[in-house]
Amino acid sequence: MKNYTKLPLYLFAALTLGFVSCESEDPEKENEGEVITDVILNFQELDGSNNPVGSTFSFKASDSQGIEIGGSPTIETINLIKGKKYSMTIQVLNTIEGEDITKEILEEADEHQFFFLGSAFTNNILSIVYADDNGINLGVKTRLTVSSSPGTNNTSMRVVLRHDLDKNFPGATNPNFANFIQAGGETDLDITFPIVLN
Amino acid sequence: MFSFFLIPAFTSKNDHLTFYATLFQKLWLNRLAHFTFATVLHKAKPYFLFLVFGFIVHWTQAQQCNLTLRGKIIHLENGEPIEAASILIMENRSGAVSDPNGNFVIRDLCPGTYTIKVQYLGHKEILQTLQLTGNTLNQTFRMEEESLDLGGVEVHGHRDAVQTTTAVTSLYGEALLQARGESLGESLKRVAGVTTFSTGNTIAKPVIHGMHSNRIMILNNGIRLEGQQWGAEHAPEIDPFLADEITVIKGAETVRFGPEAMGGVILVNPPSLPTSKKHLTELHLIGGTNGQMGNISASHEGGSDKIKGLGYRVQASAKRAGFVKSPNYYQANTGMAEYNFSTALGYSSGDLGIESYYSFFNTEIGILRDAHTGNLSDLEEIIRNGEPFNKPDFSYEISNPKQQVNHHLAKLKAHYHLNPSWKLNLQYGFQLNNRKEYDRRRGDLNARPSLDLELFTNTLELFLDHNLKSNWSGSFGFNLIQQANSNIPGTGVTPLIPNYNMLNGGVYWMEKYLKGPLELEAGVRYDYRKVDAARFVGNELQEASLDYQNFSAFIGGLYQLSPYFSFSSNLGSAWRPPNVNELFSQGLHHGAAAVEIGDANLLSEKSLKWVNGLEFEKDKVLIEFTGYLNQIQNYIYLNPTGETYVSLRGTFNVYEYLQANALFYGVDLSGSYAFSERINAYAKGSIIRARNTDMDNYFPFIPSDRMDWGLSYSFGKKDNPNSHQFTFSNQLVARQKREPDFDLAPAPPSYALINLAYQKKIQLAKNQLNVGVQVNNLLNTEYKEYMNRFRYFTDDMGRNILIKLNYQF
Repeated sequence: MKNYTKLPLYLFAALTLGFVSCESEDPEKENEGEVITDVILNFQELDGSNNPVGSTFSFKASDSQGIEIGGSPTIETINLIKGKKYSMTIQVLNTIEGEDITKEILEEADEHQFFFLGSAFTNNILSIVYADDNGINLGVKTRLTVSSSPGTNNTSMRVVLRHDLDKNFPGATNPNFANFIQAGGETDLDITFPIVLN
Repeated sequence: MFSFFLIPAFTSKNDHLTFYATLFQKLWLNRLAHFTFATVLHKAKPYFLFLVFGFIVHWTQAQQCNLTLRGKIIHLENGEPIEAASILIMENRSGAVSDPNGNFVIRDLCPGTYTIKVQYLGHKEILQTLQLTGNTLNQTFRMEEESLDLGGVEVHGHRDAVQTTTAVTSLYGEALLQARGESLGESLKRVAGVTTFSTGNTIAKPVIHGMHSNRIMILNNGIRLEGQQWGAEHAPEIDPFLADEITVIKGAETVRFGPEAMGGVILVNPPSLPTSKKHLTELHLIGGTNGQMGNISASHEGGSDKIKGLGYRVQASAKRAGFVKSPNYYQANTGMAEYNFSTALGYSSGDLGIESYYSFFNTEIGILRDAHTGNLSDLEEIIRNGEPFNKPDFSYEISNPKQQVNHHLAKLKAHYHLNPSWKLNLQYGFQLNNRKEYDRRRGDLNARPSLDLELFTNTLELFLDHNLKSNWSGSFGFNLIQQANSNIPGTGVTPLIPNYNMLNGGVYWMEKYLKGPLELEAGVRYDYRKVDAARFVGNELQEASLDYQNFSAFIGGLYQLSPYFSFSSNLGSAWRPPNVNELFSQGLHHGAAAVEIGDANLLSEKSLKWVNGLEFEKDKVLIEFTGYLNQIQNYIYLNPTGETYVSLRGTFNVYEYLQANALFYGVDLSGSYAFSERINAYAKGSIIRARNTDMDNYFPFIPSDRMDWGLSYSFGKKDNPNSHQFTFSNQLVARQKREPDFDLAPAPPSYALINLAYQKKIQLAKNQLNVGVQVNNLLNTEYKEYMNRFRYFTDDMGRNILIKLNYQF
């Protein structure tokens, strides 16, 4: 029995030592891997047989800080010409990381899709069709036609990128599908570009 | 006489019973579909008081021999309670058996002199003569261990029961058996005044009197559970199968357990280790139709033959479930898997007791796919829809978004009896919690967690208990909590909470005085806490060093008013330093489409909680009433600023952590009545009111008024009617009418659920087999619970049929 009496004392000593040895790690810088900072719409005018005319021009929406900290995004106004047809490609970038997210979207084309909404389409000022490679409805590449008599020179286009949706959902093959939320998934981008027609 | 004012004059006792029976029917049974608990309570209020007082006054005056002997059986050498000691009055052969806290009551005694015999295996028998004259006698019996080393004599296992004057309720035995297969939070809903704050049907946090997360404390075998409890979607990391008793303390118990125990304490206690050569194996096998859930648990305990006093236990459980089914659809990605293990080894001799304990908890939980919204318009759209857009077929697959949590807990405890009155205790606990949360992300990031936290906690306690013959008992000691939290790099997301070190030291002293029908206790405590936090936001290093200190105190008493009626009151102060998430949160909360912003200048919350209890117990009737008032200064809450934050991803609501004075108050009521040997009825309910007294509005996520009533019919053989039992129960939950000024969706309507249970106990030779069948939500009712955060997205769980087998051999 005698040799047990000092046991609590030994235990106590051992445990106090163990106590001091536990410290949190120094914080490390975390690279924001998922943030989208820039969305660039590239336009290339097409002729009647869909051959490129002239040089490409682009408009950008950007938010240098991404989502976490603040500062509202800057969105450029798109200038297009009435009656013309354009090929539009979308480029999505993470400038914090110097990453081209478009590549990832293309790789996961079966989980992503762009939808194009807003007054430009509801008022029949613009019409749009998917023109992606391999015939998949994704929207990274589209063909856009501007009405020759739009009735107004000012309109807007809302670009939504959905992730993890059911691409076979009835109606989801339409790039102007307004009920895209019903196809499931979540929104990765939701930007409204003002448009001025000349 | 008092009773004449309250109750119509009764000519016989039978009239009396009929009156209560019809009243009971009026109150609880005659319901219509549109009924809410509040309306009943409103109507019933006068009747109710009347009912309670009626019982008391009538019965106490109807009997001549109405004296009560109350007492406690404890070990002479250490003052620990003895369970299952027998107390016998030799003169009239009436008696009682002590409960887990060592308490017993013998009622209906006539005045006179009695010889009391107290017996417990392995202890010297006590024969004592007592004079019963007054109202109630409260006597403590101290049993001395038999010094003779008899073969096969059972040496007591040491166990610290909670002894407090505040409201305490325990789940054990049959009630716990019925709760098997449920998470800890779900199980505790069986206690009046306890609800859950849940995230879907797989994540449930217990709520005591409207408080949850860091405002209540959970103890796993005596060690305060330190996980990432701040998060609403972070369920307690504990296997309910390791417990043979789960106790809820509803008062502020900061003095005893340390800061953060301001709303209450939950003790999850495994059985005491065997100290003699006996072996017991217990198996649980549970299957549920909803989610096609399977749950198995096995435990084995035994004592050493060679070394007297050496005992061990091993226990493991596994649970697997697929998508939860709401009445009309499966909830996508709501499967879960859980694997747990625990083991204990203990040695106990006359003066010394040592126990080592280890538990491992591991879970993977899928989060409802549609709850992970991209921005505010996604969220608004799904709320408008009322149910998820994504309704797949059943599957067991768990994909992103999901959580993976591991929790290790190791404990070493020793006590040494310095002399019969004084006991020295030392307890050390080590915990490692790793939480990984996965979001739906692009490319390689999808395989990486977006939250990856590692939390180490050391706890050390040293305290001295005393149990003096002069009716005084108490404890003083100190405890130390040291914590280190680290974000594991590589998530690709700015951490929601920083890395931090925390050190908390506290000293306390409490005393209890017991005499006759009166029990008084009081205690004080001082704590000091220091927190050092650091993290990078972008390239900027943010650092903070904060410290907090506080006194807390409590005073309480219990008084036996009459043989069947006791009153207790406890006033306790408590405090809680702001948690790291409240101080430093900065980021996006996907489920709520919200940007949450912390405030490093928050002050400690201080509360004063007054809990009053009335308990009435006489053969057929049991009534327990708890009323409380909790005034909190600097209550921390997440407030919608009304602003939105616009980004390329869309719009988000902005929330900030604010402080205000708060007042919580309410009542819990539970009661049962035995109509006959075979028919029993019970009812329980709770009402909580929580106000922001600064802004004069309501806090979000406060449980609405609710009640639960049921009838059971036992149809076993005459000598053991309970061996075969059928129970019908009905749960009624009112709509939360006291809503906060801002909520994403209005509170869901009231609902009523019907549950059935059937239970049979089968004796197979010396072994016991329990078979149970439960049907929850029998009518497959569509409903949403206000306290479930996923009420924005989906209906709650539909019908679930459970089969439960339990075998002890």
